[in-house]
Amino acid sequence: MEWSIGNSGPRYVASFSDNDGILKLSKLVSNDVEKSISNISISRDEQPRRVLVELDGVISLAHVVRSGDQWWIHFQGRIHVVSMHEPGSKDTSSSEGSLSAPMPGTILDVLVKPGQRVRQGQTLLVMEAMKMEHRIQAPKAGEVTAIHFQTGERVDMGQNLVEIS
Amino acid sequence: MFPDWMNGAPSPFDSVLVANRGEIAVRILRAAKESGLRGVAVYSNPDKDSFHVEIADEAIHLPGDNLSETYLNMGAIISAAKQSGTQAIHPGYGFLSERADFAQAVLDADLVWIGPSPEAIETMGDKISARRRMIESNIPIIPGEELAIEYGDNPLGVLASSAARVGYPLLVKASAGGGGKGMRAVHEPKMLRTEYEAAAREASAAFGDGTVYVERLLTGSRHVEIQVLCDKHGNSIHLNERDCSLQRRHQKVIEEAPSPAVTTEIRDAMGLAAIRAAQAVNYDGVGTVEFLLTPKGDFFFLEMNTRLQVEHPVTELITGVDLVQKQFEVAAGLPLEISQSDIGITGHSIEARIYAEDVSKGFLPAIGKLAMWRPPSTPGVRMDSGFREGDEVTVDFDPMLAKLIVHAPTRSAALRRLDSALSEFIVLGVTTNVGFLREVSRSKAFSEGLVTTDFLDNISLDEFLEPKIDDSILVSISAASNRLRIDRHSSNTNSDVIDEYSGHSDDPFKTLTRSFP
Repeated sequence: MEWSIGNSGPRYVASFSDNDGILKLSKLVSNDVEKSISNISISRDEQPRRVLVELDGVISLAHVVRSGDQWWIHFQGRIHVVSMHEPGSKDTSSSEGSLSAPMPGTILDVLVKPGQRVRQGQTLLVMEAMKMEHRIQAPKAGEVTAIHFQTGERVDMGQNLVEIS
Repeated sequence: MFPDWMNGAPSPFDSVLVANRGEIAVRILRAAKESGLRGVAVYSNPDKDSFHVEIADEAIHLPGDNLSETYLNMGAIISAAKQSGTQAIHPGYGFLSERADFAQAVLDADLVWIGPSPEAIETMGDKISARRRMIESNIPIIPGEELAIEYGDNPLGVLASSAARVGYPLLVKASAGGGGKGMRAVHEPKMLRTEYEAAAREASAAFGDGTVYVERLLTGSRHVEIQVLCDKHGNSIHLNERDCSLQRRHQKVIEEAPSPAVTTEIRDAMGLAAIRAAQAVNYDGVGTVEFLLTPKGDFFFLEMNTRLQVEHPVTELITGVDLVQKQFEVAAGLPLEISQSDIGITGHSIEARIYAEDVSKGFLPAIGKLAMWRPPSTPGVRMDSGFREGDEVTVDFDPMLAKLIVHAPTRSAALRRLDSALSEFIVLGVTTNVGFLREVSRSKAFSEGLVTTDFLDNISLDEFLEPKIDDSILVSISAASNRLRIDRHSSNTNSDVIDEYSGHSDDPFKTLTRSFP
């Protein structure tokens, strides 16, 4: 398996030495480059959804939950999400140049036309979700090549709204 | 059977229907149970298994797919009360809580309305009429123009000339607005049209009324509000202030009481003004008079909320007064048994609103299943929530999951307690603002009590990034958990739970679980 912090960022492959159920990190590789690693060992805790983490000789608990392809971690007072990927798979997040609906909702207004040049940060669409308006803004400058929805239409989370070249 | 405390009440009731959902429905249903009242919930399809339904003595289904058929359906809610033999209705906040026509319909149905009179709601609910009433009562208001622009009129001429007189920066506000909805700041004339249209559209979507007015935007001010409590016999007191200056786009994020900016002199003056405002509309029950406090110590009336507020717990913790119980007593017609001199301030209380939202994506609401939900449970920490572990957070409702409220002897102790409680709050499976709340509450500006209402809107959010942790630690924990099949382990929770109570073979407490005939 390959691992990344959050949804994006570099992919890692981790190797462990297994000493009677205590997994000690032995190697961490990202893009064929070996990374420096923390002195860390992980083992099962008696309670479900909890692991023992020994970091530089200090043992503490981490609460962990798997949800789909993500591991959610509560460790040292902070919450983190780590994504799991099939080796060699492409990022599942939206492809370069397209803008997907961040949540289900209704398109309130379309402010651009196909062929129009837009600057970075320009508002392209206004959508309503959870009774609040959200402005969908251009992540980069470019030309609008396609708009997939009209005012008043409902969109599901992750649907592509606009393409920018 | 009326509870004992209701002896002698002119309008006694033995049961209360809560026309709401989520944490506030839970809060009120619990208060009802504690006060010996039968608590009745209503719920729509997405809420059929929710927490407020679970804790109610009886729950009545409101059929339909959208809010206007369910939580906003006055007829269906009154029928639910009649059908279940419930004698009083508590509206909570939001939904129908500030609808004078609903209050009137409840009274017309011979039910007890837990809230102020329809006339008070009507006058204060319309921001324009509220401003006029405050002017009559000599209460300072924000410079502005109460010009009513109805949605659909061609507004720009009237709007632009009014805006020019009021001056920029200004606020375009929905007359029927609240909670930051239908309110937009305009910093320069060329944005007037866009922001007006957004405000009017949001207001007509949220409140069914797109009427707006224009008000001077007082930058660098604090939002300070006074909790008032009035009975039906002419007694009115205030329960000190709450400071809700930490806002994002006019939505409150963290609230506290007392305010770090309010002196005894300001508190007394503001308290008196709030009582005058309440008396100007013959108010009864609990209500909140909101003010803007300028750096010079002047204050201006913003609006009055004629209902229980989201942030009411901080007042409860510093005064020891249970505001929901007081609402029950006042609605039953009982006189206040406390006077102004009984109200003190004990310690300091801070509330942080836990939202399902992704701060890194512009505070976008987040959804998902609360795979793990373990609120902190330590002395001085109160949690008001409508969610349990395993509940789904959906797009159907407001993304506020819970309120974490701390109480400590001093403000700095309360800040430490908040930080510690947030760090112990385990919420996995749904993205929340917990980490952001920690960073904001630890910021220099907030910890020194210097935050004004524009603080979060004028600062780069990079200031509140959570501290980085080495990638190799997080990758190790996930990869090892995956290899140890920690997720499989969790699908087997039944046997784990039994094990937790019956003890393993070496457990010295094992005999405690033996059963008796």
